[in-house]
Amino acid sequence: MSLMPFAPSRPLSIGVELELQLLSCNDYNLISSAPDMLRRIAKFPHAGDIKPEMTRSMIEINTSVQQEYGALVEELRSLRKVVSDAGRFLNVAVAGGGTHPFQHWSEQKIFDAPRFHYLSELYGYLAKQFTIFGQHVHIGCPGPDEALHLMHMLSRYVPHFIALSASSPFVQGHDTGFASARLNSVFSFPLSGRAPFVLCWNEFEQFFDKMTTTGVVESMKDFYWDIRPKPEFGTIEVRVCDTPLTVEIAAAIACYIQAMSRYIMVEQRVAPEEDDYLVYTFNRFQACRFGLEGVFIDPRTHEQRSVREDIADMLTRIADHATELRATEAMERLREILTVGNGTSWLRQTYAREHNLGNVMQLQAELWMGSN
Amino acid sequence: MTWSAYLPIWPLSISPALWLALTLVVAVLVGEALMRYLRLPRIVGYIGIGLLLGPGGLALIPQLPATEWRLVVDLALGILLFELGSKVNLRWLKANPWIAGTSLLEAAATFFVVYGLLLWFDIAGVTAAVVATIAIATSPAIVVRTVTESRAQGQVTDRLLLMTALNCIYAVIFHKLAVAFMHGETGTSFIHTVLPPLYLIGGSAALAWLFGITFERIHHHLGQHEETFSFVLFGMIAFATIMAATLKLSPILVLLAAGLITRYRRQRSRTFPPHFGSAGAVLVVLMFIANGLAADLSGLRDSALLVLLLIMARAIAKSLSVLVLAHYSGIGLRQAMALGVALVPMSSVALLLTLDTAVAFPAFGSGMGLVLMSCIVILELAGPIIVQAALRAAGETPETKI
Repeated sequence: MSLMPFAPSRPLSIGVELELQLLSCNDYNLISSAPDMLRRIAKFPHAGDIKPEMTRSMIEINTSVQQEYGALVEELRSLRKVVSDAGRFLNVAVAGGGTHPFQHWSEQKIFDAPRFHYLSELYGYLAKQFTIFGQHVHIGCPGPDEALHLMHMLSRYVPHFIALSASSPFVQGHDTGFASARLNSVFSFPLSGRAPFVLCWNEFEQFFDKMTTTGVVESMKDFYWDIRPKPEFGTIEVRVCDTPLTVEIAAAIACYIQAMSRYIMVEQRVAPEEDDYLVYTFNRFQACRFGLEGVFIDPRTHEQRSVREDIADMLTRIADHATELRATEAMERLREILTVGNGTSWLRQTYAREHNLGNVMQLQAELWMGSN
Repeated sequence: MTWSAYLPIWPLSISPALWLALTLVVAVLVGEALMRYLRLPRIVGYIGIGLLLGPGGLALIPQLPATEWRLVVDLALGILLFELGSKVNLRWLKANPWIAGTSLLEAAATFFVVYGLLLWFDIAGVTAAVVATIAIATSPAIVVRTVTESRAQGQVTDRLLLMTALNCIYAVIFHKLAVAFMHGETGTSFIHTVLPPLYLIGGSAALAWLFGITFERIHHHLGQHEETFSFVLFGMIAFATIMAATLKLSPILVLLAAGLITRYRRQRSRTFPPHFGSAGAVLVVLMFIANGLAADLSGLRDSALLVLLLIMARAIAKSLSVLVLAHYSGIGLRQAMALGVALVPMSSVALLLTLDTAVAFPAFGSGMGLVLMSCIVILELAGPIIVQAALRAAGETPETKI
């Protein structure tokens, strides 16, 4: 199977996918309620899309194509309402966050669909270990070469996205010490990491064809890259974020990526270099491990600073673009994260107060579902 | 000094307690074997061995002294009822009124179907009503124990627990009402027919509320020390049971309501170990053995057909009610069938209500009481198997065997 042609899409349009946790209201452990939830949700018309995921304790919400923060956050809130209402009707709580703090992977059940069963066969326990919850952001690109350009330029800022969204410190009942432990699960997949350094679509097609003839991959879906092109949508997809604890933060991070993309395409106009990737895994690890406190090394100047400082600097640089995209409110939310902390800080503080991961999960669900 | 001073005298005089101890060992081993080789719930073994060795079966074990056993049974049932109550989220009924609807429909259908069937068999109206109220209750003991043992989770499990708690409450209240009518029929004034249920509900609620508050206080201070906490809790359950009996309230209602109230008032979810610790688990095992020992199948001799029809009619009423409202309450066909079937078990609650009625009306004990007892024995033995199969069919048990 050869690669699909790159579909046209409106430049800088955005779309958000959020993987959510389904929890039992009795003990706030994960519960295999996705079929029940989807059956209930199907009865109500709603914007966007709500889909099953790999295991039956996950559900995914997708927005339609959006242009700006206001409408995006509104659509996410309406999706949240549909999902939360279904949850209340079925005694199921819904929450954000990148990992469940005390679920046991062996208790997860694979969702009954051919693709999920195939993946489960192929990856074995990794598929069940993959009960982790991420946010994916799509950015519309004017053309395929522009998409590859944007993908490589954004790669440099992957630590920003990780640190801002990080909300997975707890895994299997323990504090891992990581800000985003979720990404450690992604690394165990053979085709994770970053896309190869090719800058024009022809070359990318050649790479893809070579990979398919080896039999390793069948479609773009088999690449678990941090950022990957999505030709059928005409977008690139940033996949490193944890699902944040609220839809507002999810929308703000999506708009941060959008404003940064505008800055890259309109103002910066620098060609990516292969050497930009020399510091890639180091920076990425620092952001996963230490979040906003992580060390960030600039690939060009080799200057060292914290991820927090680099984000603050970037927020200043893209301020005009954010204004142009009507995303100033989103940028305010991100500045707030720089001062009060990301989801991981909230989770650690809550745990320090409650001494019980079940309580943390309950509060996390209450935070995500909102009061009504 | 003679031989007999330090050697036992032959033949040995063996106390019944020794046989009982042996029964405990055998029952637990048989339960374990059933689980390992046939994947059946362990309690089938406990009840089955009690039934097999007890007066109702091979009569190897003599009749038990009722008063001494009563405390064990009451305490274990109290633990299970409180556990059931504390697993049930009453707020759910507000978010999904269809579940409340299903519960009411299921209880009403059971009552009327059983009542109608008994009238057709020429049973007196008031007696039929008493039996029909008892038939409403699903066994909390079997449901809680089987759910715990199979580690089930999901819509069917949650609804089964909630609907069991609710139909036990209906059963106790309406049973009291029906018994009051029975009294009315045997010649007391109207006021003494109406007041008993009111006193029962008000008094039980007050006692349950006190229990709930005390429980929260104690849990707040002792919750970290699981063992200490569970002992205090058992003391409280025993106290509440005896207090309820002394005040002529229903221990069943008090402990169930206490569990519901504690859960309702709680800000944070709490999970407790099964049966609040291993001491509780031992009591629960003893209770099931005792239920087996107390089993009385003599009703089958005279009215096998009635027993059979009663079981079937009750099962159909419960299943159809759940099925009718399944779509609105948000479950699929398969889940609804599983839930309907899982509501069928009868055990301790029905047994206690039957015995209470028999004490007040000896004629009931030797008539319809025996029919009910036979139903209970059958549904007690089959109950755990049915519930486990239903939860499996609904896909709510873990996929891998542990």
